[in-house]
Formats: sequence, C-alpha cells, structure tokens
Amino acid sequence: MLRYWQKRFRTGILTERPEFDARMKELRKRLKKGIAKHFAGSLAIRMVDSGSCNACEAECNALSNPYYDLERLGIRFVASPRHADVMLLSGVLTFNMLPHVLDAWEQIPEPKWCITLGDCPVMEAPFTRTFAIEAPAAEHLPVAHHIPGCPPSPDRIIEGLLEFLEKLD
Amino acid sequence: MENGPKRLIARYAVDRGEDFELITRFDDGTIRERVSKEDPRAASIMPRYPAAIWFERKIRDDFGIRFEGAFDQRPLLHHERWPRGLHPMRRDVDVHTVLELSDYRPYRYEAIGGDGVFEVAVGPIHAGIIEPGHFQFSQAGEDMLHQEVRHFYKYRGIEKMLEGKTLAEAAPVVARISGNESVAAQIALARIAEAAAGEEAGIGIAARRALLLESERLAHHWTDLGFIPNDAGFAAALAYASARAEEVRRWMAEWTGHRFAFDAIASKPRPWDPEEALRRIAAQREAIDWFEDWIVGIPSLWDRMDTTGILQRFDALRYGCVGVVARASGVALDVRAGEALYTDNGFAIQSEESGDVAARFKVRIAELRHSLELMERFVPLCTEEPFAFPEGGEGAFESFVESSLGELYLAVEMEEGKIRRFFFRDPSFINWQALHRMMPGNIIADFPLINKSCDLSYAGNDL
Repeated sequence: MLRYWQKRFRTGILTERPEFDARMKELRKRLKKGIAKHFAGSLAIRMVDSGSCNACEAECNALSNPYYDLERLGIRFVASPRHADVMLLSGVLTFNMLPHVLDAWEQIPEPKWCITLGDCPVMEAPFTRTFAIEAPAAEHLPVAHHIPGCPPSPDRIIEGLLEFLEKLD
Repeated sequence: MENGPKRLIARYAVDRGEDFELITRFDDGTIRERVSKEDPRAASIMPRYPAAIWFERKIRDDFGIRFEGAFDQRPLLHHERWPRGLHPMRRDVDVHTVLELSDYRPYRYEAIGGDGVFEVAVGPIHAGIIEPGHFQFSQAGEDMLHQEVRHFYKYRGIEKMLEGKTLAEAAPVVARISGNESVAAQIALARIAEAAAGEEAGIGIAARRALLLESERLAHHWTDLGFIPNDAGFAAALAYASARAEEVRRWMAEWTGHRFAFDAIASKPRPWDPEEALRRIAAQREAIDWFEDWIVGIPSLWDRMDTTGILQRFDALRYGCVGVVARASGVALDVRAGEALYTDNGFAIQSEESGDVAARFKVRIAELRHSLELMERFVPLCTEEPFAFPEGGEGAFESFVESSLGELYLAVEMEEGKIRRFFFRDPSFINWQALHRMMPGNIIADFPLINKSCDLSYAGNDL
C-alpha cells in the first residue's frame, strides 16, 4: 500500500485540460451551493434503469471517478429508494420494468422529484416504439426535469443537476 | 471437447408465412428444420446442450413453438402480466401492438427445498448504479446451494423493431443495443453489410475499427479491474482504474466525437494525430504495469479472489461459454484468433486455467495489456477512408465479433434491401446461463464479486 500512497502523493489532483477543469470547478461550486440551499448539503439520488443500453449508467458511475468525484459535493447515489430525494430514471420504460419503476417511485418519501436521464425516457433516442416500450416517462410519472444526451457525458449530467436545482429556486 | 463434438452458438426461429423455420447454429454448421404453424412443436435439445434452455424458452415466447422433451417450459421474456397467447415475433403481430395487462401469473423459481433451506430474492432493481435483473438464491445459512438468473426486464423488442428497416436505418439502434459493446455491434452490422454487397473491408478500415474495438475493451476491462476489487472492499483500485477508463473514454470522444463511439463505424473518420495516440497508448501501458505490480502485492484481496466462484472447464464447454469467462476456465476461444489483421500483428489468446474470480481478473489484466500492444501496431495502419452502408442486399448473412464481453453473433436476413429477420446473440446470453455453476460452495456475500468478475450485459441479453 505504501507504493499506492507514494503514487497518490506524486499524482496530486488530476488535471488534463485546464479549460475543461476550470469549467468543472465553477460547476462544482454552484452545485455545492445549490445542494446546501435546497437539500441541507446532502442530495440522495436513486438511479433506476428502466431499459437503457447501460451507457447512462456508465456515465453516472464515471461521476464517482477521480476526475469528477461528485460525492464530495454532497451527492450520493443511494441503494434504497426510501433514502432518496430524487429518482434519476434512464431507459425506455419497458413493459417488463414499468411496474417495478412505479414501485420504486412509490417507496421514495415526499418531497420527491423524478429526473429523466438521457434520450430514452423521452423517446428521442433512435429506438422506435414497439409493443415492449412504454416511454415517454411523463405519461407515467410526474417528471420534474430532463437531462438530454445519448448518453449525457458526466459534465452534462452535472450541468443538468444544476439546472434542476436552479428550478427549485 | 469432453462433452459432444459441437458448441451451440444460437438457436432461433423465423416466421416463413406458411410455417416456421427453426435454425440452430453450431460451431461446425447450421441445421434448419420446418415447424408447422398449425401444430408448432419441435424436439428439444436442452437435455444435451444446457445453453439451449434460454434459446428454446425464448423461441416459445416469441413464436409459440413448443419443445418436446424440454424439462423447462417456463416463460422467459414474458413476465407475470404479459398478455396470454401473444407471440410478438410472429409476422401477423404488429410491432406497435399496445399490450393489455393480463391477470398476474406468478413465476415459479427454481428452488431447493429442505430443512432450514431458505430463499433470497434480489432485484430486479439492485443496490447501486446497475442494470436491472433478478437473482433468486437457495441458501443454507451463508452457503449458496443454487442461484437462478431471471432477466429480460429490459426487453425492448429490438429484433422486431428492426424488421423492415435498411441496414443504414438499423445502424443507430444497433449501436445502442448495449453501451458496453457498441463498437463490436456496429462492426458486426458493418460486416453483414459487406457480406451482402460481396465486399470486404480494406486493411485501413479494418485497422481503424480494430483500434476502436480495442479501445472499447480497454474502457470495459479497466472498469472491471476497478469494480472487482471494490466488491471485495478494496476501493483504492476503483479510484485508480476508473480514472484510466475515463482517459480511454476521453480519447474515444476525440477520435470519434462520442465517448462510447456510438455511430462511429459508419461515419466519416475525424482527422486525428497518430503520434498523440501512440503517446496515450504508451501511458496506458505504463499504467497497467504499475497497476499489476501494485495489485499483486495486496494479499487480502487475493484471499477473496482465489478459489472463489470457480467455473470448471467441463461446465464452460458444456454451456458453450464465451469471452473472458471461457478463457479464464482454460477454453481457448476468441474470434480474433481467426482474423488476419490480428494474427498478422502478433495476436495471442490470453487464458488461465483455474476458472475462479482471480483467473478472470488475471485474464482481464493480460488482455488489457495485449490490446495496447496490438493498438500500437494498428495505429500506423489506420486510414481515413469512410465507410457507408451499401444499398440493397438479399439473402441471409452472419457475422462474429469478439466484443469486450466475448463472442458476439449476428444473423440478418435481407429481402429487397430491408431486414426481414434480425437475430442478435449477445455473449452474455450464453454466459448468464452458466453463472449458477459458479455459486455452490461459495457464500452469498461473494456473489457480487463473482458476478462482477464475469461482468455480463443485461441490455444486450434482454434486447
């Protein structure tokens, strides 16, 4: 482990593209402030995949990597919907997933918000409608905000969350 | 092979109007059978080929064909409230049919009975940012006696969605079947198009595709090399490996305009700097060397990985497993071994014998390093020739691509330039079925570790 800490110490904070990093710094600052204001510094998100290709999930996981490190701003992806403030919904809402998505939504205590993530839940991804697809999500859930993209990149997700917080102002 | 001479690759049906055709693809050829529409039944092969279980259950759901001698007749795609008697892949069912919820018919899980034996149900929504699927465990205390995988929560009806479309129209959907293996799926479709037009990709195009395919493998393997130790409680590895995966995603975005290279295979290559690409590849080679050197020295991690979740070679062969799962159990199977571009540039199959989590982890490290070596050779071969889907196409075509998850098989039937039948077999469709063979003798707390070491796709499997 000593080797790891040596490397960690030498690497410092990861920076690669100064302009991108400057923008991220600004976004993080605003996000932290918004979370402090509306969620007492702690925003709990339950991510639910209702039939995505897994790229939206990969980008949400990327939010935790050392380049973005979202958790230090007070955002936590939680396991139980009962711990969540927000349901982040990806995918085309399949016929087989719909009842489970509604169950999860039911389990989130009030006040709660549903944010749709990526082009699938609004049927703007290239998928055409089939018998097995129940999207758009707004027909089944009160959607408070939408983050577009296929998939939205991690910085776009951060911007999207910020826009959501600004809506609450 | 120890058990029978053949490997089952796929089994699916096609609606021919008057009757059905049942197509079974083995590694040594294809068998075609006619099945009458009035009395749709066929002989089951599941007693001999266990991976046929899901194929036959799927065919039954899709077309209503019954399999005689099948020991598992439960529905697969059709969940509790699926409309009775609706078989959506039949040609007389409209793709836009609105499904009415039927009465609730409980699914009968495979469960082991006995004193003190209990069941644990997990999913479909899991703890964490993961795709949905269900696992049902039969437990004796901590010990797993059996596990059943139940999927198809993400079933989007993609096979039917693509019928009647041209290959160019289908391409954006195919790129998004599974984000983990988008490049592989795009290449598979491009090869179908080339086969239909009687062409073959030039070396410049092939090298560029291979470069993206290996980049996708890097991103995927790095993510796994982080998440596997993370599931054993060693989070530092995830911090390190996820940063490397992010670097790969960023260069994919520079090369293709998209972090997952969606739609990249069929679009005009962007201008790029090969020198810069080689520098990044070199940096990644240093990173994997450092990572391996570091991770082998963490004994408490190997304590968790060694001898955990063993898939015996016998089972890997019996199920016809593919990808890292097969190679970690001593089965030397890799589509790339049959491709000239790879063999001319020093490709070698990376495998292990022990079949445990540690073996799958080691294969991923070895493959990641080997991919970087190959990429160094591919960079100078790449050209900026564009690829476009040719018009037209008539007949049946198939293609194989080694995705980051294993052998991907695509079969497409074309009629007057349009898709008549689209059949996509994700590598995970096979490997999911063998997963339960890794569980007996392990405790349930090791399930996430075992599952992650295989890292299978839900979206690609469910379609």
